[in-house]
Amino acid sequence: MSFETVDVWVEGAVGWLIFNRPESGNAINAQMFLDLEAAWAQLEADDTVRVIVNTGNGGAFQTGLDVRQLAKDKEALRASSRQTRDFELRMTSWHCGVTKPVLAAVNGTCAGGGLHFVADADIVVASNTATFLDPHVSVGQVSAFETIGLLKKAPMESVSRMALLGAHERMTAERAYQLGVVSELTEPEELRTRAASMAAEIAQHDPTQLAALKAMMWSALEKP
Amino acid sequence: MSAITYEHLIVERQGPVGWLINNRPDVRNAMNSSMRDEFADAWTELDNDPNVRVIVHTGEGRDFQTGVDVSELASDGVGMERYRQSMEDFDVHFTSWHQGVWKPVITAVNGICCGGGFHWVADADIVIAASDAQFFDPHTSVGQVVAIEAIALMKKMPVEAVMRMAFMGKYERMTAERAYELGMISEVVAPEKLRQRAQELGETIAKNSPAAMAATKKALWGALEAGLTDACKEGAKHLVSMWGHPDQNEGPAAFAEKRDPQWAPLNPES
Repeated sequence: MSFETVDVWVEGAVGWLIFNRPESGNAINAQMFLDLEAAWAQLEADDTVRVIVNTGNGGAFQTGLDVRQLAKDKEALRASSRQTRDFELRMTSWHCGVTKPVLAAVNGTCAGGGLHFVADADIVVASNTATFLDPHVSVGQVSAFETIGLLKKAPMESVSRMALLGAHERMTAERAYQLGVVSELTEPEELRTRAASMAAEIAQHDPTQLAALKAMMWSALEKP
Repeated sequence: MSAITYEHLIVERQGPVGWLINNRPDVRNAMNSSMRDEFADAWTELDNDPNVRVIVHTGEGRDFQTGVDVSELASDGVGMERYRQSMEDFDVHFTSWHQGVWKPVITAVNGICCGGGFHWVADADIVIAASDAQFFDPHTSVGQVVAIEAIALMKKMPVEAVMRMAFMGKYERMTAERAYELGMISEVVAPEKLRQRAQELGETIAKNSPAAMAATKKALWGALEAGLTDACKEGAKHLVSMWGHPDQNEGPAAFAEKRDPQWAPLNPES
């Protein structure tokens, strides 16, 4: 099955989920909202897929909800609001209960809701040109889920700083690497190749063991 | 202008930024009983002032803060008992976190920050430091247990570094550079530029929605009290609390019209 807003394909044991609205910074519109849930489900169900790589087409990785687009689709807006209120989002692999290892490959700007996909991945690599910011408070919005996810995994002060400075400061790829938000930086043109080779290496491991390991490590974050 | 007179603190305003400055430089800004009381008042005063959008905390003189003024505690006959009781009950009021301040707080560490001084590193949202700042925790070297400030720090940064400071006591100091590498602080500044940089940061943050920042801060600090899923569920309440708030329309409108947003003032009661 193919999707309008995300590219999904399988190469060897590696499944790819690629944001594909490059003209809009890969922001999530009503259609992508639906496509993401279906795409994660498809890759999870495909037995040939052992590891999933998540990246973006174009200059940005992911820039969060396309609020303008979403507002035009009343039904999608209602669904999104309900999922937010009840914390029943279906955007990331963690939300969708994916049991396979997920590697995020941040190819450019990662803003606001884009941070969901960094916080909820198992491994994060990035282009050395990638930047991270959380503009929510600069447009009167609250930052919660993405930054909560990040602060459970990275030094909190850097997360608070990002949340409170909003659109007025970007974290560089280099700083994200120092802080352990990402574990490897590549030249922009080498990002996918590197992500593919890492994924292929992870795929050498026993899938049952990988799933058990993933479940155990994420459950450790559920303790206060 | 400050409504209250302080003996051991300086409370000032500079544009949207409220300044809280430790002012016992002759004793390295150590906290005695009355300074402790003044902290409670100063945080509340700045929190309640609608013109203050961001608070910066720093120290007068060479050092930021060196914990409790042990000489006074040990000698005045009242201080030690009062200190013990408040710690046993965890009934303390000297940091922004203790006082429920939901405005952004920047700590600007000048010089030495040791022992109880870590309270204000742990409890701030953003921490910057002068390049000559030094961090250490001498509690164990004087037969004391470090607890509250180290617990908070462990939740916010690599644990090994906090344990090392706790066990090494007065025999080792962490540099500003190392604190930056570890993500305990996010910026190292030339000592003479520290206050200027803190003011700039404060003014930048003051461009953001006060109500959205307060709700964000509640969500983030709440996350230290809960596991991931529960924290997100609690965070959802803070997120939803902004729905219908005028800032949620003002933000996108100002963006579209390429002008500075006019945010609604933060209600101190909220």
